[in-house]
Amino acid sequence: MGKIERSQKLFLNALKEKFQGEDPESVKTTFYNFDGVRQSPRKREFMEAAKKVEMKRGMAMYDPEHCHLGGLPMGQRQLMTYQVSQTDVFVEGDDLHFVNNSAMQQFWDDIRRTVIVGMDLAHATLQKRLGKEVTPETINEYLHILNHAMPGAAVVQEHMVETHPGIVDDCYVKVFTGDDEMAADIEPQFLIDIDKLFPADQAEVLKAQVGKSMYQAIHIPTIVSRTCDGGTTSRWSAMQIGMSFIAAYRMCAGEAAVADLSFAAKHAGVVQMATHLPARRARGPNEPGGIKFGLFSDIIQANRKYPNDPARASLEVVGAGVMLFDQIWLGSYMSGGVGFTQYATAAYTDNILDEYTYYGMDYLKDKYSFDFTHPDPAQCIKPTQEIVNDLATEVNLNAMEQYEQFPTLMEDHFGGSQRAGVMAAACGLTCSIGTGNSNAGLNGWYLSMLMHKEGWSRLGFFGYDLQDQCGSANSLSMEPDRGLMGEFRGPNYPNYAMNVGHQGEYAAIVGGAHYGRGDAFCFNPLVAITFADPSLTFDFAEPRREFAKGAIREFMPAGERSLIIPAR
Amino acid sequence: MAYTPQYGPGTSKVAENRRKQMNPAVQLDKVRDVTDEDVVLILGHRAPGSAYPTAHPPLAEQQEPDCPIRKIVEPTEGAKAGDRVRYIQFADSMFNAPSQPYQRTYTEAYRFRGIDPGTLSGRQIVECRERDLEQYSKWLIETEMFEPALVSCRGATVHGHSLRLAEDGMMFDMLQRCVLDGGVVKYQKDQIGEPLDRAVEVGKPMDDAWVKEHSTIFHSLVGTAYRDDAEYVEYIQRIHSLRTKYGFMPKEE
Repeated sequence: MGKIERSQKLFLNALKEKFQGEDPESVKTTFYNFDGVRQSPRKREFMEAAKKVEMKRGMAMYDPEHCHLGGLPMGQRQLMTYQVSQTDVFVEGDDLHFVNNSAMQQFWDDIRRTVIVGMDLAHATLQKRLGKEVTPETINEYLHILNHAMPGAAVVQEHMVETHPGIVDDCYVKVFTGDDEMAADIEPQFLIDIDKLFPADQAEVLKAQVGKSMYQAIHIPTIVSRTCDGGTTSRWSAMQIGMSFIAAYRMCAGEAAVADLSFAAKHAGVVQMATHLPARRARGPNEPGGIKFGLFSDIIQANRKYPNDPARASLEVVGAGVMLFDQIWLGSYMSGGVGFTQYATAAYTDNILDEYTYYGMDYLKDKYSFDFTHPDPAQCIKPTQEIVNDLATEVNLNAMEQYEQFPTLMEDHFGGSQRAGVMAAACGLTCSIGTGNSNAGLNGWYLSMLMHKEGWSRLGFFGYDLQDQCGSANSLSMEPDRGLMGEFRGPNYPNYAMNVGHQGEYAAIVGGAHYGRGDAFCFNPLVAITFADPSLTFDFAEPRREFAKGAIREFMPAGERSLIIPAR
Repeated sequence: MAYTPQYGPGTSKVAENRRKQMNPAVQLDKVRDVTDEDVVLILGHRAPGSAYPTAHPPLAEQQEPDCPIRKIVEPTEGAKAGDRVRYIQFADSMFNAPSQPYQRTYTEAYRFRGIDPGTLSGRQIVECRERDLEQYSKWLIETEMFEPALVSCRGATVHGHSLRLAEDGMMFDMLQRCVLDGGVVKYQKDQIGEPLDRAVEVGKPMDDAWVKEHSTIFHSLVGTAYRDDAEYVEYIQRIHSLRTKYGFMPKEE
């Protein structure tokens, strides 16, 4: 370890904007003179809206000046705004609650409503069992029918009810293949063009992984997966796939071969975004707790857009991951609470984690000659314990010193869990990007936690006692029930299933190991290709920017019901 | 071989202070006087002078099961009397409050009996039988474990440990349970925030030199930089490396 010079403080702009007129390095300030919750335009808007609701329904609602601590409303200190990291957008904290942010909702909707289904098994059934001819023309016709049927339209039966296209306009199916000749024969409207969407070196690897196989990237209607659940996605998709094959290939609707097509679409040929969780979690596939960290890093597309900035690519995974895993999964699915938002936002606002991470990148360059702007497996550092200790120690000490030197920064991350997650993430990312090894990154995370706890004699809330103090011991283990490669770990991995401020960062640490090597994908090339599709409602290459758009109410989501409800 | 506690590594003043607080053989300085009644008022669990509410009859009056552990462990006075379990909770400013959450827990574990501490980032709670609690609380407030402006007793709404200090040097408390009045810190509300019939004085804030001298937190701006205590940092790296190694392969190669 050894401190290096880094004059750029990425968080300073945010601090100056948040604490206007105050010296960010001052230890003292004023309190109790901010007019309580009324200092916040958003809280005033809430109070105004609540008044209208109360008048309409004749029942009490949001009343912070009466209900909060018996008449002592929050806002005795400054209620801060937040800059969404690496954007110019400042928002109120409330705007980053997923209930108030349509982009956050759509982010999760777009994952939950997605499955990938291979076509090879179905084509083999059609050709070998039924003697049907499968050609590019029949595939295009099938896709035409499927894009009619998938949103909820009939293809075979008489007198069927159907869904309104205006409500399910986000539902569609495209295909992709590694076979250039086959791709050239697919109508462009139905094709995810790997060559066009990925940098050339990534496209080459991805196409080689897919080979001559063809896959359908399926997105069922947002409103369907919302009304039902993630487990519905493969069922809904399989039903429409079966009917479309029947229509496109003139099959008998009841013949036994249909069962083969159904089995392929529902089981043998389907790639879910998340695995089925144990019964005690009571969740089917395609729910957040089953998303493997490696797969999540393939969903996020920043590495496609910023292949020469693995730090940026990883930080986008952090932002997306903490939103999904902390705010939605642990925050609401698991705990039923509403207050988890600020654990998560600490990791993607005010450029604080960004600053700490880029310090790590500078340290890698300065001490180990690792140039993070030219990712390459050849320059990755051998992940020895000594080197991981050195990287994590220096990045952690620097982060602690920044909090100390800028008291407004400490005030920004006012909770220990926020600081713990952010510091450990910077350490983990530095270790994983620099070594190209996800478990080395996780190991760096846990040294940060121990160092943080001893330095300030505090860490996060109670749960940190367990997860982060025994984490060193499982970070490199590969024994069943004791350890696993980072790529295969997930939110339901033992010890990871209880704490906010961890899972999104872990996902990014796993992703970072691959971004630092310049890999084309982390875990599953099919997933990386599927989420590159520009027709998706949410842009997975820029999750933080999309969340910012949602916060300032400029994001247009799918699944809206305005066509079938009275005009407001 | 008898176990000799080492109370942690480090060559810095911070490390030395930590060891001093933890070591029950060291008598910490008594810095202020707070009456028993004032402690009861700050705690807010019972009215001063009222009887201790009980959770069960005194142990002497109830039939104890034939348990070898009970024969080994001498009950505390509160346990003997059947007191209910109550708490005191502290928020400690990161600007050199003399104790800090884990440090409090370690210290209490070494010095007190029959306690159940809980440690978070912005607060530390210790629960135990009520009459034991009052005795422990008095010690925690009267000794150098406490600093009136930088430490406060807060049952709920603890926000403040990481915030900048107010202009008068007090740690932020949205409930303003205690205020600086005439140079003396006075509790106007008990730890949970209920107004008190009379203010309880806990003394004058200590000066910067005292605060820095008694700190148990590393802080590069207002105290001792963590980086400067190389022994401490190396010790943590060693612990981490050993845990990693034996988790990966739980036997010697």
